[in-house]
Amino acid sequence: MKTIVRLQNVTKDYGQGQALTHALRGVNLEIESGEFTAMAGPSGSGKSTLLNIIGGLDRPTSGKVEVDGREIDSLSNTDLGVLRRDRLGFIFQNYNLIPVLTALENAEYVLMLQGMPTGARRDRVREVLQEVGLEGLENRYPRQLSGGQQQRVAIARAIVSEPALVLADEPTANVDSKTGLALLDLMHRLNEEKGVTFFFSTHEEAVMKAARRLLQLEDGVICNDGPNHM
Amino acid sequence: MIVRLAWRSIWRNRRRTLITVLSIGFGLGCAIFFIAVAEGVYAQLIREVVRMQAGHITLENPDYREAPAVDLFLRVSVPLRSRIERLPEVEQTKLIVFGQGMARSGSGNIGATLMGVEPSVEQLTSPLAKRIVNGRYLDDDDGPWVVVGSELAQRLNLDLGKKLVLTTNDVAGTLVDTLCRVKGIFETGSVEIDGHFIQTPLSFARRVYGLPENTVTQMGVVLRRPETQQYALQTIKGIVPDPTVAVLPWQEVIPEISSYIKLDRGSNLIFQALLIFLILFTIFNTLLMSVLERQREFAVLLALGTKPGQLRLQLLLESAFLGLMGCTIGLILGGLVSWAVQVWGIDLQSLLEEGFTISGFAVSAKMHARVTPDLLLNTTGLVLGATLFLSLIPMLRATRVSIVDQLR
Repeated sequence: MKTIVRLQNVTKDYGQGQALTHALRGVNLEIESGEFTAMAGPSGSGKSTLLNIIGGLDRPTSGKVEVDGREIDSLSNTDLGVLRRDRLGFIFQNYNLIPVLTALENAEYVLMLQGMPTGARRDRVREVLQEVGLEGLENRYPRQLSGGQQQRVAIARAIVSEPALVLADEPTANVDSKTGLALLDLMHRLNEEKGVTFFFSTHEEAVMKAARRLLQLEDGVICNDGPNHM
Repeated sequence: MIVRLAWRSIWRNRRRTLITVLSIGFGLGCAIFFIAVAEGVYAQLIREVVRMQAGHITLENPDYREAPAVDLFLRVSVPLRSRIERLPEVEQTKLIVFGQGMARSGSGNIGATLMGVEPSVEQLTSPLAKRIVNGRYLDDDDGPWVVVGSELAQRLNLDLGKKLVLTTNDVAGTLVDTLCRVKGIFETGSVEIDGHFIQTPLSFARRVYGLPENTVTQMGVVLRRPETQQYALQTIKGIVPDPTVAVLPWQEVIPEISSYIKLDRGSNLIFQALLIFLILFTIFNTLLMSVLERQREFAVLLALGTKPGQLRLQLLLESAFLGLMGCTIGLILGGLVSWAVQVWGIDLQSLLEEGFTISGFAVSAKMHARVTPDLLLNTTGLVLGATLFLSLIPMLRATRVSIVDQLR
């Protein structure tokens, strides 16, 4: 198994003086390729901060962060952008689809950034949309899709370029429980069948149950990490 | 896909996009129209004045401008004249004797400018020949006959066939009285021309000033198209290498008109700059609003790995689309209206006082615009260029969003 993520003694502080907040306090973490890991914790525990740091959207105050074998502290913003484009996939709580692009175009966008020829990327996107259950809805705009369908498009966008790691920030938070379970089932299937590595944050018990590995984050510290026994 | 994204993005807020596009179109249309009308007025003024006076290009004694006097005359050879007339840019050449003097009748006297001309040529080139309101214009073989301005005729109580005495200094400096009769009275609308101008056949003018045969104070060159002036000027300078002959553009011969046009163009430029500034302010506002509203979306695009350059390209394309649509509307609107005014003109008689003049020269109350490809391209290019330039600030703002803050 290849180590996709390696964090050593990572801290993240916000503000200064009296307003100084320690969002992460010496986090050590390793995620292997093919894992399906959930990170649980109450609001403000540092889940999103940790995801942002792993995703190269934010930089740690101290500590070492390695993603897909690259130390991201030493990367420029441009190189971080390339790393995110080529090796990471993101699923956001609010879907964050581009409203003026269709489902197909939203999923196609990352492949366009990677410079894949139009024909090849269209074929690839149709295949992925079919995998996430959106066959026939390719030409719909986000406003014409339900919340669950929009999140499926977001999942398609995240996995279409076959990234080393998909980071998902509370992916089921904005959909009803039934849709949430369906989305979870989809991610689970993609992990098992396609080997996609998922690392997601949640505070929903049903989502935690689905994970094979569960981290517990409290006040910026991982207080529990191991196989899920829920 | 970036092109598609940019195109669709501008239509998210249809009303705002339409207002912006129409603002650009209306502003550009107005700018084109006002410039075209001003250029039309200049062209009309130049046409009238240069044709009435010494042409688009004037050949004269190099010292004449310093101290205009008939003793600074020029000998014109027939071969030289026909060589110039054979140039494709040249419509006609005209021989002129310009001199000063006093016009006297039984009712009084008045300082006057006497212009000796070839009547047959003037009838082809000069608008004055068409402004006879009483009597007839001159003929080539007329002897001591003159046409005078209506104002001068009124002040000296002159009528057709009436006698007039011209008191002038001839080339030798001798004071000479010459009797002539009024053949026609013209009215141009200009107080200066109508009040002090007298035209007479060239041969009679030579007699008045004691000038030898084949001499003139000026030879005017009337061009078919004023735009060819610079080229024609150089060509004629090549034909006339004689250092005793100055070849001058009309701008140096009638500097008051040239200065007026420069000054008026300058003030128009300020007005147009203000107009364009107002349009650009609207565009800037639209672009900035559009960027501020989409900060989260830009953060998502950057998070997905979009390079800042790609994001800037998208916003530049959005500005370009707005600018191109607005400029197309403005070009069609301004171009068509200006073209219509070029063909049919606008009659501003009710707005202008009678005898409206520019630098003493009468201008017709029926104004015609002048639309040229240069005018359309330059004005449109300026607005489009400024639209793209204005997108720089929103562009920079978009690429500087904090991804984490926006996605929180």
